[in-house]
Amino acid sequence: MIEVIETGPFNTVQDLGRPGYRKIGVTASGAMDPLGLKLGNLLVGNAPGAAAIEVQTFPFRLRFTGAVVFTVAGADCGAGLDGHPLLALCTYVADKGQVLDLGQPRTGARAYVCVAGGVDVEPVMGSRSTSLRGAFGGNDGRYLRVGDTLSLCAATDGHRARAGISVVDPAFALSDHLPVSDDGSLLIRALPAGEHDLFGNDADRFWTETWKISSKSDRTGYRLSGEPIRPTTPVEMRSHGVVPGVVQVPPGGEPIVQMSDANTAGGYPKIAGVIDADLWRLGQARIGSRLRFVRATHREALDVERAMARFLEDVRVTSAMVTRALNIMA
Amino acid sequence: MSQVDFTDPATIAELTAALEAAGVDGLEIERPTQGVRILLARGRSPIVDRTAEDRSAVVPASFVAVKAPMAGEFLSHDISRSAAPEDHPQEVESGDVIGFVKVGPILLPLAAPASGQIVRHVAEHGAIVGFGDPLFEIEPRS
Repeated sequence: MIEVIETGPFNTVQDLGRPGYRKIGVTASGAMDPLGLKLGNLLVGNAPGAAAIEVQTFPFRLRFTGAVVFTVAGADCGAGLDGHPLLALCTYVADKGQVLDLGQPRTGARAYVCVAGGVDVEPVMGSRSTSLRGAFGGNDGRYLRVGDTLSLCAATDGHRARAGISVVDPAFALSDHLPVSDDGSLLIRALPAGEHDLFGNDADRFWTETWKISSKSDRTGYRLSGEPIRPTTPVEMRSHGVVPGVVQVPPGGEPIVQMSDANTAGGYPKIAGVIDADLWRLGQARIGSRLRFVRATHREALDVERAMARFLEDVRVTSAMVTRALNIMA
Repeated sequence: MSQVDFTDPATIAELTAALEAAGVDGLEIERPTQGVRILLARGRSPIVDRTAEDRSAVVPASFVAVKAPMAGEFLSHDISRSAAPEDHPQEVESGDVIGFVKVGPILLPLAAPASGQIVRHVAEHGAIVGFGDPLFEIEPRS
């Protein structure tokens, strides 16, 4: 088991979410950095979508009530076990009573504590993710509080053999597929969406402007601040389906990017849709940081997705191979 | 025991093909008279192994050798997360991570087995190393 001994608000149990229920108004939820979650899980020998603790307010501390293999994925937050510094995305064995602490992230915004077996909460509609807005799923449908205890799914010998392996930083592994700006702004690839052309010249500005992620950003959506963009003539629209990545433009003219806890429907015009393969990078972007949208094609979006899938498969196969080899030679 | 000749290019080619087919990154076979080590480094230029003397270098009894836990690429730092350090640390504490062996996307951190001084960096950053190859020599602090 895991006992939470220090936490801020909004830290929740998340897996890869519950897609498929949007039509009945159920938000998918799920990790904001699904790549981080998958990497952490693969490293400890779990299925990629096992439930973990998503930490987005720091400091965060927990106590392990039994020996378990774990890793901290996602943001590098200078984690320590009983005060001993840990490497990012590296597996360790925690002994009964040991305390894991996560400090303010040095890079990124969200860390994932992945444990062998995964966090065991009751699945709701096929997922262990917490739906904060719906107040269900995860740990009682709410964010973690001091004193909460979380059970873990049973770990196997295969899990236990996995201590002491790490994986290269995903941004390094995928560097051929990630755009980099020369001014430090995050470049996020997107496709023009339904109402893109209604914005006339402002549509061009959407792609060239540097937007700032405002403090009114959370798991539901990122509100961007910058020079407003508006349709050439006011648009009245019926509500329509919305998915994570959709960039809406409310009447104020400052775009909103829908994230993991995205509304299932909305009526604002959509100017663009962030490609799926870049959502994890957005999920790690901090409030106050700057980004620009880069116009992509479906082809590019698929290529990046395939590169990510290859990397994950490489991690899955190689980590298993290395684990086997180390245990034979030990 | 079969008398396979590891100096025969055909044998090496066959073993390499078997490794590729199995999705295995490398293999090492040691015999009293000869040995072979095959590492698949796809898309890289050929690697020339270190000389035999290096392998048999004598480590003074008081020094602790840090050896490669498996075959891979030796890294003096995590190239994916940090720039090359100005110079190698000499004084280390037991448990400090002093390098990595990289196998594909996987990194194996190398922890100092004792507190003391690193007296020799045996492997160069980027070198391909085999299982058990000495990487560092540490003179423990008394």
